[in-house]
Amino acid sequence: MGALFLVLPVGLPLAGGFLSFFLRFRDERSRFAYMEAVTVATSVCVLIALLFVGPGKADLFSFTYGYSLSFGLDGMSRLFSGLIAALWPFALLYAYGYMAEEKHRARFFAFYVMTYGVALGVAFAADMITLYVFFEMLSLVTIPLVTHYGDHDSMYAGRKYAAYTIGGASLAFFAVIVATVYGQNGQFIYGGSLNGTGPKGLLEAAFVLGFFGFAAKAAIFPLFDWLPTASAAPTPVTALLHAVAVVNTGVFAVGRLTFYVFGPELLEGRGVTAFCRVMVLFSLIFGAVMAIRERHLKRRLAYSTMSNLSYMLFGILLLTPEGLSAGLSHMVFHSLTKMVLFLCAGAFMHQTGRSYVYELGGVGRYMKVTAACFTAAALSLMGMPLSAGFISKWALIRSALEKGGAYALAGVACLIAASFLCAAYTLSISIRAYFPAEGKALLNQEKAPAEAGMAMRLPILVFTGAVLFFGLWPGALMGFLNSLSGGI
Amino acid sequence: MEIIALVFAPFAGGLLGYAAGAYRENWRKALAVLVCAAEMALSLLVAANGGRVSVPAVFAGGLMFTTDGFRAAYAVITAFMWLMASVFSLDYFKEERRNLNRYCLFWLMTLGATEGVMLSGDLMTAFVFFEILSFTSFTWVIHEETAAAREAGYTYLFIAVGGGLVLFMGLALLYQSAGTLVFSELPAAVTAASEEKGRLLAAGICILFGFGAKAGMFPLHIWLPKAHPAAPSPASALLSGVLTKVGIYGILMTTLYAMAGQAFYGRLVLALGLVTMLLGAVLALFSVNLKRTLACSSMSQIGFILTGIAMAALLRDAGEAEGYSVALSGTVLHMASHSAIKLVLFTAAGVFVMSGHTLSLTGLKGKGRGNVLLMGAFLIGALGISGVPFFSGYISKTLLHEGILEGIHALGHLAGGLRAAEWVFLFSGGLTAAYMLKIFICLFVERAEEDGKEEKREDRPKAVRLKTASALVLSLSAVPVVLLGQPVFARALGFYMTGEEGILAFRAFSLENLKGSFISLGIGAVIYFAFVRRFLIRDGKYVDLWPKALDMEALIYRPLFTRLLPGGAHLLLAPFGENRVLAAAGRKALLLLHIAAKAMADGTDALLLLLRRTIFRQKTGGAKEKRPAGIWQVVRRGTDDALKPLMETFSFAMLMTCLGMLAILGSLVILSAGR
Repeated sequence: MGALFLVLPVGLPLAGGFLSFFLRFRDERSRFAYMEAVTVATSVCVLIALLFVGPGKADLFSFTYGYSLSFGLDGMSRLFSGLIAALWPFALLYAYGYMAEEKHRARFFAFYVMTYGVALGVAFAADMITLYVFFEMLSLVTIPLVTHYGDHDSMYAGRKYAAYTIGGASLAFFAVIVATVYGQNGQFIYGGSLNGTGPKGLLEAAFVLGFFGFAAKAAIFPLFDWLPTASAAPTPVTALLHAVAVVNTGVFAVGRLTFYVFGPELLEGRGVTAFCRVMVLFSLIFGAVMAIRERHLKRRLAYSTMSNLSYMLFGILLLTPEGLSAGLSHMVFHSLTKMVLFLCAGAFMHQTGRSYVYELGGVGRYMKVTAACFTAAALSLMGMPLSAGFISKWALIRSALEKGGAYALAGVACLIAASFLCAAYTLSISIRAYFPAEGKALLNQEKAPAEAGMAMRLPILVFTGAVLFFGLWPGALMGFLNSLSGGI
Repeated sequence: MEIIALVFAPFAGGLLGYAAGAYRENWRKALAVLVCAAEMALSLLVAANGGRVSVPAVFAGGLMFTTDGFRAAYAVITAFMWLMASVFSLDYFKEERRNLNRYCLFWLMTLGATEGVMLSGDLMTAFVFFEILSFTSFTWVIHEETAAAREAGYTYLFIAVGGGLVLFMGLALLYQSAGTLVFSELPAAVTAASEEKGRLLAAGICILFGFGAKAGMFPLHIWLPKAHPAAPSPASALLSGVLTKVGIYGILMTTLYAMAGQAFYGRLVLALGLVTMLLGAVLALFSVNLKRTLACSSMSQIGFILTGIAMAALLRDAGEAEGYSVALSGTVLHMASHSAIKLVLFTAAGVFVMSGHTLSLTGLKGKGRGNVLLMGAFLIGALGISGVPFFSGYISKTLLHEGILEGIHALGHLAGGLRAAEWVFLFSGGLTAAYMLKIFICLFVERAEEDGKEEKREDRPKAVRLKTASALVLSLSAVPVVLLGQPVFARALGFYMTGEEGILAFRAFSLENLKGSFISLGIGAVIYFAFVRRFLIRDGKYVDLWPKALDMEALIYRPLFTRLLPGGAHLLLAPFGENRVLAAAGRKALLLLHIAAKAMADGTDALLLLLRRTIFRQKTGGAKEKRPAGIWQVVRRGTDDALKPLMETFSFAMLMTCLGMLAILGSLVILSAGR
């Protein structure tokens, strides 16, 4: 029973997406209805699993040497699977509205739904090998989505994306081997499955390679360049995958590697940890600075994602339970916030046909709801109180100050500075939208842009509502996260 | 319950007004005034009932509101100011009607947020509402959407966001050391955490920075002389009269509750207060624009208030209960009287704007002649702010002065500095009298120059005529200014706000106290006749002698941080600026760094490229791949070109400023943690 509800959410979208190639649909609406049904059914399965499946793991099948593909459900899986299960149905709705006039919709939606299953596989993985398998699959299954338009830019983006993520995963493979050899078959055990038996140099090398390999998906410096390039993909892909599912998988895997394989005790005070920390802080600031420099709306948001992913990595590398839960809370809240920003950006681009920041003057006068949601999310991203972003930033800063030491304090300074830069790169868009400079308004367009259709507006409103809701009532979620840091 | 209503009703009212305005303009107008009137009633109710409310379920640690004499009094003052300004808005926006729904929405939201700060029971609640009002009041500054308003708005937002984030960091530090942010628990918690004095001091300085940014404290004042004149006049009155006090509220609360025994903190506030006071007054004297003069004057008065706060802190730490109560009463009374005065003065300025006049003093010469009500109200405001006996500023300034004198007696080690402070105080008071005399004579005494050629009657600017609402607002808002000048009333209010009994024995018109006022007024008269009339008025025109180069934004922020901070390397190279070899080496190092970063980032690209040229044998040429500047572009063109987009914008330079300041703050924190 328990195993069924762990396998079903992974298998259902994979099978459903694959089958859709062979099914004949009357029209686009019925295709969408089918896809949405698969997605919602999967989310319901996840919900059932979250509610009723206890801890423990289920082996799917075994390789030789006693290694196996196995699923399990612990605190981190619960959080991550719950997050994507909540987001996916709405994102699909948005995609339906956004892609209404594009070609190759059958392929697009099939892979879009299949990705859901793979992402859940990463969430449910109970050991390093399973995690690695789904991690690689995630790279592969999303390539057709990145190259969807098939023009020169997106083909280039697809190649780059493949090279970075698959190359990164190949680095991480070394860590997977070390984990399985020295750490009880690579099982995830809170506090670390490696008990320090391996040669010290080997373990350190494995950690650095694993860290950067997995964090390549989280766009850590210097392996970040694929993320802004991949903005050439359709907006539903950039929003859901490159702001949430794929990049969070990177953070998630690093969290697993750090807390469940190597363990804080082994890592604290090592030179390699210090190196990783420095790179995280550097990419935190670097991403924010590049975002200011960038004038393409989606690429700017992509750089901002890079910076925010580093917040989460910063929290994880504090190597304290509070740091982990703060990092994970930022994962949840940043996902919601960045979804809103990307979905709004997509709506702007879809309705006005313009994709550069300086072309969007005065758009707030025509697309009032979208611009208002964008502004609310921008404030949340900056960490203004009463929005979700504040809660996680406060948790991060508090856990850092709790920890003390040069890294934590430098991190706090970087966080504050990055918030400041964030204000510059998001608010400048909002201000332009509402108060365009003389002669820079969209007014002289023949047709004033209208608000996007309901399929696109509804997800935006829902996520904005969630951002404000968690800003006002974070208690329950934060309570869950804190229980998680207790080591469940 | 009424506290909750007082804070949140305006938010609902604002949304309602926005919706109503879409159908009928009159509904919106009526609603705005009604909400403000209801706020007035509610605030009186809160003042009468007192009490505290906490809303634990929402937000990180819950919201907490409390009342005491000071908070209740300021809740009432806020509501009164808003009511007056709303009524005045009815007149003010008769002609110019763009964007008024938006204006109404943010007008009322700011009211709610201000009440939220003023009644906050912990620093976190104060911070939440402080941030809200930073953003909502931004729309006031940019309301007219002219180039000047836009520039002022950006500067305002920059300072607001920067201040907010540094404040946030300060709160985090304070919470970490003290374990609480609730005002009533802070004193004990701070005493208990006395071994972490360094970190507490860092927290206090961060909080001072954050709240000081909103108060217009030097060196964060650069937004103030721009933003207050750019906003519509009713909004300027509130920006000056209330929103600066929100910053002061934060500083006052932090000083009273969390900074006991921090001698350095008290001295820092004192020094910044004195500089703000003097600089504001000098800027006001040189200004040739009516609203700018009033804005700079606000800055100067904030300096007076900060001085009072600093004296209260220093005297408390020295154990001087009496001196402390005098300085504290002076502070709160000066806050109240400055709020009242600025309402009158900005309303009067608004009347001139409404009649179609420019704001330049030369253009306004004699334009107020013949309007007795306007002149009377303006005169009351001017006398109040100059500290003439029987008007509001007199008593509060006298108390502040006495606070400094007490300090000279009690704080032996600071006596020399405080004597200098006393003279800065008296001299600034003189400058205040001088610039008020300058604009009063300009508006109501001098005659406009006749151009010689006969103008047609209808071409002449309309004479200033008061409409009903403006006349009502002017006369009503002049009342508190007079009232606060009466010792009986001032003593009662001071006692109500501070709860210190020392104020009750204060004798306002003793010879000693009158002396201070007369010295200031004498200095003012001398400055006016010997300096202003001789140098600042030429051929009947008011000339701007303030050197453009002395603008702080242009003089310090811009060059320092565009030239020194970007790239980081320039700062390091500054000492070797003359040495060409070293400078060139530095540029090379920067170039190499940039190439290295680029190479790391482009490594995979290069690999792909290599593969395509070798294994896959793709033909070169054809569609070129669009890529950002790669290694070779950087090598060919050098870093200057590649970094140019970073360096060319002023906003970026300002960001670098903040990064630099954060670096300093960060090192402060690290130093303090080491102890």
